[in-house]
Amino acid sequence: MAEGWRALFRRRLPGTNLTIGDVPLWAAGGFVAILWGLPFVWMVSTSLKPAGQVMTRDVEWLPREVIFDNYIKILTQYPIARWAFNSLVVAGVATALCVLFGAMAGYALARLRFRGRDALFALFLASIMIPIEVAVVPLLLAFIKAGLASTYAALILPTIANVFAVYIFRQFFLTFPAELEEAAIIDGAGRIAIFFRIALPLARAPAIAATVIIFTLNWNNFLWPLLITFDESMKTMPVGIAAFAPVVGTHTQLEGFAVAMAAVTLLCIPSVLLFLLLQKHFLRGISSGAIKA
Amino acid sequence: MTGGRGRNDPSGYLLVAFFTVPFLLFTVAPLLFGVYIAFTEWGIIGAPRWVGLANFREALADPWVANAFRNVVRYALIIVPGVTVLAFLFALYVHQRWPLSTLARTLFFTPNVVSATVIGLVWVWILDTQFGVLNHYLGLLGIPRIPWLTSPDWSLTGVALASIWWDLGLAFVLFLAALQDVPEDLYDAAAIDGASRLRQLWHVTLPQLRPVISMVVTLQLIATMRIFSQVYVMTNGAPVGSSASPVHYIYQVSIVQYRLGYAAAISVLLFLLIVLVTILQRLLLRERVRG
Amino acid sequence: MTTTRWRWSRRQTLGAAAGFAAANAVPWYLSGRAVHAQSPTEIVHWSWLAASDGEVWARMIDAFNAAHQGKGLQIKMELVPEEQFMTKVQAAVVTGKAPDFGWGTAGMRAKQAKDGVIVPLDEVAVQVGLDLADFDEFALQQSRYPQYGNGLFMVPMDLMSLQPLVNTDHLQEAGLDPDAFPEDGAAVLDWAQKTTKRDGDTVTRSGILMTGSGVHPTVTWGIVAAQMGFQRASPDLKTAAVNPEAGLAAMQFVLDLFDKHKVATRDVTDRYKAFGTGQGTIFWTGPWTLNGYMQQNLPFRAYLFPKFGEKRVTYFEQGGLELYQQQDKGRYEATMQAVKWLSDNSFLWTTEGRGASPRKSILSRPDYKTAGPPWDKRGAFVDGMAFATEGEIPVQAGPDFTIYSGGNFLAKTLEGVWAGMTKPEEAMARIQEQWQKGLDAG
Repeated sequence: MAEGWRALFRRRLPGTNLTIGDVPLWAAGGFVAILWGLPFVWMVSTSLKPAGQVMTRDVEWLPREVIFDNYIKILTQYPIARWAFNSLVVAGVATALCVLFGAMAGYALARLRFRGRDALFALFLASIMIPIEVAVVPLLLAFIKAGLASTYAALILPTIANVFAVYIFRQFFLTFPAELEEAAIIDGAGRIAIFFRIALPLARAPAIAATVIIFTLNWNNFLWPLLITFDESMKTMPVGIAAFAPVVGTHTQLEGFAVAMAAVTLLCIPSVLLFLLLQKHFLRGISSGAIKA
Repeated sequence: MTGGRGRNDPSGYLLVAFFTVPFLLFTVAPLLFGVYIAFTEWGIIGAPRWVGLANFREALADPWVANAFRNVVRYALIIVPGVTVLAFLFALYVHQRWPLSTLARTLFFTPNVVSATVIGLVWVWILDTQFGVLNHYLGLLGIPRIPWLTSPDWSLTGVALASIWWDLGLAFVLFLAALQDVPEDLYDAAAIDGASRLRQLWHVTLPQLRPVISMVVTLQLIATMRIFSQVYVMTNGAPVGSSASPVHYIYQVSIVQYRLGYAAAISVLLFLLIVLVTILQRLLLRERVRG
Repeated sequence: MTTTRWRWSRRQTLGAAAGFAAANAVPWYLSGRAVHAQSPTEIVHWSWLAASDGEVWARMIDAFNAAHQGKGLQIKMELVPEEQFMTKVQAAVVTGKAPDFGWGTAGMRAKQAKDGVIVPLDEVAVQVGLDLADFDEFALQQSRYPQYGNGLFMVPMDLMSLQPLVNTDHLQEAGLDPDAFPEDGAAVLDWAQKTTKRDGDTVTRSGILMTGSGVHPTVTWGIVAAQMGFQRASPDLKTAAVNPEAGLAAMQFVLDLFDKHKVATRDVTDRYKAFGTGQGTIFWTGPWTLNGYMQQNLPFRAYLFPKFGEKRVTYFEQGGLELYQQQDKGRYEATMQAVKWLSDNSFLWTTEGRGASPRKSILSRPDYKTAGPPWDKRGAFVDGMAFATEGEIPVQAGPDFTIYSGGNFLAKTLEGVWAGMTKPEEAMARIQEQWQKGLDAG
């Protein structure tokens, strides 16, 4: 009898690897996953509601009527397109440079031997522990002094040296098969040529992982753009939209709640989209770069 | 021995230079300057005036500094285990490759890519005492309304909850990647021995994942010690500084009160605390992040 | 004719060359400003107005630019969050790249006046012909810092006060007559009792809308304490916290709203949103909120602040425009011309925007009462200026003294009292000590 039950529990549902005994666990996990996504549902749902139907006594997950006024208001009354453009330029350029430089450094630290190498890597790692806020005000003054306040240069330069990129590439190149390099060395190729011709093209997985993580960090970067932009037209998206939060805006935007949700919905799109598109490669990159030592 | 190893290869310097130069210019240099001004009194206008250890003495006696440092320990005690345990469970779940697991994977990771601004606006709304979604459903379970962000007893927990939701994604994918790397034959061997799934988890999965667990704990611990933007957008440290973190206080002192020297001194203290905690944690987990 | 044309084009060429050189000093793709560098005189204005008043202010700036199209003077407005405002201004002044003018609050800039971050305006005001005699005397006096040469450091733009907005639906529901809102504190508390809704012992809708921390209980304390005879500083700015027992009584008053009368709850996070969604009946706030609630179609009226103590007093705030130190002193006059225009044309700002006008000529206009939000919503903010006297303390530590702050020294100290973590006496002792230090420093 017991055997029969066990067999039933172990039977797989057709076309899946889910056994009947696991269905409750599967459902419970699914419930948690849905919970995890609910804040997004709430955000989008609120963004489609008329202002008067936002604060209701009972929770209304679906708007009574769907309107796009909030989006129209955001897109017409605020320079959100400009903010999005700024964010794209800043996050795009900073990420590209960071990933390229990080790959170069990571390769050198993993494959080449030179004096000071280990000390340099230790310095990179140690810098993760440093609260950058110590440096923020001196940096602010330096950029203003250089006449670069509220420019793309000011937004991009301090974010180029993200140690995470070096780390992920170094871990990847540590396990890089030496035979690939050796052939080229015999051909007389220099190390730099080897990096660009052989190593870099094969480092797609860590490059994607680093791109997703660093782009996301740059896209969402908050404190530095908040401080260095003095100019509405130079704000990045998170900073521009933060003006809808009571803490950051001065005297709360009364009419702003549904509008604010529309704004944050727009704010979520690029980084979420990037992740969804690169999801598979991203996971592969994480596993090849960050995990394997 | 691979070619190039064992000797001093000058092209190494060229390859690291592109990264190292901005690193020195925009991280190390301002930092050294910051350490210098920690020993000065400086309010932007005028030149920094050397005051020796006065800022440090003041910081050690400042009840708001003590409060912020106490809070950050409490944040770490909630967020680090919360993120680690939940991320591990979620990764195990997704790793089963049951139907819709790709969707679950996306749902678990996605919060990680949104900005602090989103956290501030969406979670303040969810945690609202009177109209918040969370209290509404807790109420259906018979739990009285919790003043998540308005009472000194709860505000830190409220911010920590949002932080777990926000931070978990990265730990989750790290675990997921590591799970995929556990050799299948280890499980097969265990299965033949008739080990239950829980025993497999305990004897096969966990030992294999130890380096990743250590890495996740370290990264999350450091990130939590520097917690700022969600505090800033959700409560701004209120009420009574009950949710204020060291970096939030540093922001207040430097940007709102423009006492740069004092702010720098608190930053140095925070740095020392982070180093101390990281060393302690590594001793406790007795497993170095490899590399 | 030909000569003129030739000259004209030569100047243009020179201008273009200069623009080219400037753009090359900082590559155009790095500089957000390069585009503007070529316009003749561009006045840079920093503002931190981000609520519905900010929209009206943006219209004022647009109007200025429209009126000066092709006349060589344009304003470029940039929004800077209030809490970073002075840090950024000072950083910009130190590096010689300060904005020309910005929004200030009277009495809060003593340190900047001392450090030369903001500049005295008496001379340049005369130069551009700003009619100082048309300004309210009190407003001008508030714009001066007696200890720093008594210079005029801002051009007053609006006078603001805190007055109660009242949800009229709630009144009707409780059978109370919106035309008979009481002026006496005890009667107002009685009305609050009648409109409060409770679930057992917890307040679900506040009769008097408060937040558990932050600016609202602080400013309520400050107003009621002043009504009861407390002085944050003696008139000669020598003694701090005069009549501390009145200050203690006011702390008890705030605590009683929560715990004894139970007409308020500490659970409200966002006061503006809470009032807008009907979570409270009586809510004292400033005129900057009116536009927002009107847009929401909230049924409300504004009344005069009740008398809870011995005399009727409410919070006073004066907004105005201040000029920041420039390396090119020639910019002051052009900037002041712009400020003069904005002040002369501030009818829109002080009707639809916020507050009462400091200009006599505007106040006396027959249409002053009919413009902007209806008088039953706006009137209290004009009439109520008569007893709005609890303003700022004009010393360098002014920000420690202000009662309208959610995060300054005062608010943080009082927060402990509201949460029941600090004894009122202890808080008062700390306040007295810190404020005395602030006054002694001047």
